[in-house]
Amino acid sequence: MSSQQKISDSPINFAEKIIEDVKNSKDEGVLKCVQCGMCTSICPAARHSDYNPRDIIERVLEGDESILADDNIWNCFYCYTCHSVCPVGNSVCEVNQILKQMAIENKIGYDKLYEYMGFADSYFNAAIGAIPEIFFKDIDRDVPGWWDFRLHLDEIRNELELDPPLMPSKETIDEVSKILTITGFKDKIEKIRASQEDYK
Amino acid sequence: MKVVPDKDLLLFRSCLVSVEYPGVEASTKFVFDKLGIDYEISDKQTCCTGLGHYSDVFNQIDTSAIGARNFRIAKDMGRPNLVMMCATCYAINKKSVKLLNKKDDLRNHINQLFDENGLSHFKYEKDDLKPTENIYHVVDILYGKKDEIKDKIKYDLSDYKIATHHGCHYCKVHYEDTIGGVRDPNIMDELIEECGCKTIGWYDHKRATCGTGFRQRYSNPDLSFTATADKMNAIGDEDVDILVHLCPNCHIQFDRYQHLIAEREGRNFKAIHLNIAQFIALAMGGDFDKVIGVKAHTVPIDSIIKDLKEVKK
Repeated sequence: MSSQQKISDSPINFAEKIIEDVKNSKDEGVLKCVQCGMCTSICPAARHSDYNPRDIIERVLEGDESILADDNIWNCFYCYTCHSVCPVGNSVCEVNQILKQMAIENKIGYDKLYEYMGFADSYFNAAIGAIPEIFFKDIDRDVPGWWDFRLHLDEIRNELELDPPLMPSKETIDEVSKILTITGFKDKIEKIRASQEDYK
Repeated sequence: MKVVPDKDLLLFRSCLVSVEYPGVEASTKFVFDKLGIDYEISDKQTCCTGLGHYSDVFNQIDTSAIGARNFRIAKDMGRPNLVMMCATCYAINKKSVKLLNKKDDLRNHINQLFDENGLSHFKYEKDDLKPTENIYHVVDILYGKKDEIKDKIKYDLSDYKIATHHGCHYCKVHYEDTIGGVRDPNIMDELIEECGCKTIGWYDHKRATCGTGFRQRYSNPDLSFTATADKMNAIGDEDVDILVHLCPNCHIQFDRYQHLIAEREGRNFKAIHLNIAQFIALAMGGDFDKVIGVKAHTVPIDSIIKDLKEVKK
């Protein structure tokens, strides 16, 4: 963990920015943190890595924005265990998601998204949420019979008499692509992809 | 307990159920039909964005705009009660409804984008849906009908050692709406009891994450599988035959990777993995291939369930 800290002159601004974030559902919860450490005591990422939810809130309250570049924030499991037990109604899990979105907006977090571009593509182009194909090789190595199962998926679904089919209609795909264009998603993905090309 | 509806339901399709464990969808429909639950599926509804949202690719505006479209589809069908097979779809949709109701800026922003781009028909009006009254997981719906499960049970599964894994995104995200306990989750244990079986109840790490962590499984597998091993070792120590799930992502983590984690831990794990709808469908007489969809499973179901004995009536 880095021992350097960048504490701003107005530390509260950082927490205020988090409170105002669209994703925040805990009002001023972050300001109520008493540093009791309950979150860290039950956190699976703290148990198995240097991720420390109590420390994240301490740094946020100190206005230490260098946390956006700290690799440890990417170890959160999004299990919400901290969120479900916090005695003052804070949610480190949610704060962590907001920090990552800030890191992405600042382009610091772009490289963490490269492997997930396949999800963006399948949703934008086919209105389907899918495990990115880039991981298929690993899955095939780690899961005996998985690829063979996937090849027979249609037969299995037919046997189960499932409908409608997996592929959405053109109308649905067009609507979804349009929505993800006007929200700024498409532009963001193009920027990330351009940075990925430079990265290579 | 809150009142759970049994009609006007939109059964919300899940991307992971569709391509990884389609038998969860078939089993849910089978059990819903047996219990007289009124539901429909829509071919217009799209994925909640969960995998993208929790790998940080989708931001909240992207996810809530997609959500607004899905909510409008449900309302237009006269089915304002969304019921999810996946814990993450449940968490994502409930959060979008909460935010769209509470945050005027978010709702107005999305509605304005829709207005300016010919999508006004998808606009979300404040309180179009209510997070507690309209957004459910399949387990909630089954819990509302649990007194009717017992009469429909055909097979006796009580000889197996059964444990439950309650997905974090059902229990912990919107904990004020969780039925059956958050720190000591028991909704599935209670449903299994209605099938004439007793689960092992509490075990070490019962409330812990499956370890998927979305990006962790793929980008950080050591961290992911180390966390999964905590729970899998506890399940192994209890000699569990059947681990019952309510989320396809947890299901993948345990069923698909049991073999890998056994190698890492240097021990054998025998548990098979069934979704709660598959478990109840099986107890109600659902066919292995036509309802339960056992061919999709990595740990073979018949490695534990070799024959079925009928309940003595």
